[in-house]
Amino acid sequence: MTVPHYPVNDFGPLMKGLVIGGVGIVHVFLAQFAIGGGMLLWYFERLSQRGQERDARAFVDGFFPVLVLVSFVLGALTGVAIWFTTIQVGARTIGLMLDQFHWLWATEWVCFSVEVVSGYAFYKIGHRLDPKARLRLLALYAIAAWLSLFFINGILSWQLTPGSDPGSVWRGFFNASFWPSLLYRTCVAMALAALAACVVINTMELERERRGALIHRAARFATPIAVMPLLAGWYFAILPEDSRSWLLGGSAPMMMFVGVAAGASFLIGGYAVVALIIKRVNISGATATLLLALAFGATAAGEFVREGARKPYTVRGVLYSTSITPDEVAGLRATGVTADDPYPLRDDARYANDQLRRGARVHRALCDACHTLHGANALVELTHSWTDDQMRLNLAKLQHTKSFMPPFAGNADDVEALVQFLRWETKDTPATWPVTTTPPEIAMWLDEAGLR
Amino acid sequence: MWPFDHGGGVLALYIGTLALHAVFVAYVLAGSAFALVRRQDPIAATVRDRLPFMLGCGITAGVAPLLFVQLLHQRRFYTANLLLGPRWFAVVPALIVGFYALYLAKASDKWRRIALGVALACFAFVAWSWSELHELMQADPEWAAFYAAGHRLFTAATIAPRFVTAIGAMATLFATVAAWATDDAGRKRLAAIALAGRTVSILGAVWLWRAGFSVDGPAVAWFGILAAATALDVAAWALVLRRPTDLVLALATGGGTAALLAAAVVREAPRVALIEVHAQAEVSGGAVVFAVALVVGAAAIAWIVRQIRA
Repeated sequence: MTVPHYPVNDFGPLMKGLVIGGVGIVHVFLAQFAIGGGMLLWYFERLSQRGQERDARAFVDGFFPVLVLVSFVLGALTGVAIWFTTIQVGARTIGLMLDQFHWLWATEWVCFSVEVVSGYAFYKIGHRLDPKARLRLLALYAIAAWLSLFFINGILSWQLTPGSDPGSVWRGFFNASFWPSLLYRTCVAMALAALAACVVINTMELERERRGALIHRAARFATPIAVMPLLAGWYFAILPEDSRSWLLGGSAPMMMFVGVAAGASFLIGGYAVVALIIKRVNISGATATLLLALAFGATAAGEFVREGARKPYTVRGVLYSTSITPDEVAGLRATGVTADDPYPLRDDARYANDQLRRGARVHRALCDACHTLHGANALVELTHSWTDDQMRLNLAKLQHTKSFMPPFAGNADDVEALVQFLRWETKDTPATWPVTTTPPEIAMWLDEAGLR
Repeated sequence: MWPFDHGGGVLALYIGTLALHAVFVAYVLAGSAFALVRRQDPIAATVRDRLPFMLGCGITAGVAPLLFVQLLHQRRFYTANLLLGPRWFAVVPALIVGFYALYLAKASDKWRRIALGVALACFAFVAWSWSELHELMQADPEWAAFYAAGHRLFTAATIAPRFVTAIGAMATLFATVAAWATDDAGRKRLAAIALAGRTVSILGAVWLWRAGFSVDGPAVAWFGILAAATALDVAAWALVLRRPTDLVLALATGGGTAALLAAAVVREAPRVALIEVHAQAEVSGGAVVFAVALVVGAAAIAWIVRQIRA
């Protein structure tokens, strides 16, 4: 079995998860706003055409469509950025997803193309269209935008809950977390659009009462936010048991992010339901902006949770975060993880001996996807208080040391080389370093740990 | 039919969507240059107005070939991406800067020149980067040494001529699209640009051939189609200089379209034998859904275009 090897880039103190997270969160926020924005524009246009809200037309022809336009263009660009970043972080993962879902991904592209063309068309010629055509164009935009979410949601949720038959496209697409995730994201998209609308409405030159009426309409549009706790509960219920326990106490940072996402969503939802809908409070532009910022925080925390819940996999049960499949571990235990890696080290002369060079390559192959040496989630910091034998044991039995870590996919010499490399880095990379003999216990510990 | 007996429908979709993407990005790159150099030309105002939209279309249309190339050449595409690393990633901020520079050029007389210059530089950088990536994808014997040396710029004798060929073709494509939205005098001015663009792309192609690019085997037939289509295109544009009617312009557009598609196949020829086969991708479902979506999506876009024209 041949493991595909890709060149690995070092991002210095930046953990790769932070790089993809940074791009991904901005993209998700913009894209969800663009989806909700289209739905909200259609809703306001309909109110206007039915004579239910006299200033709705001014809103639809005002600044809001510009905001939607900017969002979906930036959404498209950050979407391309996500693609390139994912290749940097986990080329094999994106390749696997593409092999599985390329036709559905291509379908998502068709939907996005319709979204872009209809959005631009409304922006350019919406003002001169007859009412029927305006409504149809906005409906087309909203449906196309939501369908793009529909398709991408199936692909992304598959990573966490691919099911018992990961090779099946349709069972994989309509996986266990598909519906709660789709409905939750739809609610988020509507809430984001409503909050942004409140900001824009506050900039409109209208009397207070008329602004209030528009704000009330926008708040009504955000009503589905009330069911988000139920959807979140549904999502948690279908999570694999280990992922759920990991989010609800197994890991302090993950639990904290769950808390941030839930807390921020609760605050926004509470304000929307109680203050805006029940009490009909006229939200100011400043408050709406603050709530939008809070929603960004909730999005960021939510995406972090979604990514983290998959550990130690990028596709649960199929591909580890090290870009190695469970079936490949046995082979790598026999040959060593560096045996077939065609890429030399970039800084070969820096190392004091060949064992350290091997350790650096083991680190590159097995650790670099989630850890840095001296920056975020730094291995040197995480292991500096361990004794040598403790480190050997912890690495050899990695999946037992921490349940969210993958099994060590190398042989005993790889473990020893990695231990020496980390020690050498901890001691500030001295010019000379002794070459050690691999203790026989490591092979025994690897056997005891098993392959999964 | 070669090359579609390799890679099947995916290769056809790749070539088709790449050609569509090329039309939009050609308008953006050559249009930015046109609007910068010929600021007082009446065509420039229309071009400036359309540039942000065309870039949006170009990026959106570019997602499809980006998707399909990962199926055809997954290992090579990912490896080249990774080897160029952060330098490759710079194409995204360059596109964002270029996009907003186009809006600035549209909105501000004062900043127009600088904004168009910045946008043009950004788009040229992206075009060069793609030429570089294309070559690096095929240079597998050099990958390990390139990585070990920590290089971020790939140099090969074929990159510059590939870039020049593309730039020349872009000028002609821009002229083709822009000519449909202008008067007779404008068409004549654009015909001169189209012919100049063709001259540059032909010279670039000769340079590319001398640098090592060769057309062999079944690709020769496609090269023949390319040559014939280019000849038709050149003849039609020469005629537009004297008789800029819709019929002659349609002839130039037809020749240009055929040349674009044939050029996309010829460009792909050296990589056909390198197409990867992925077992899962071969059996992956969803093609019918995509086909239906494509038809419905095309109908929706056609309806939108009709609304715009009405």
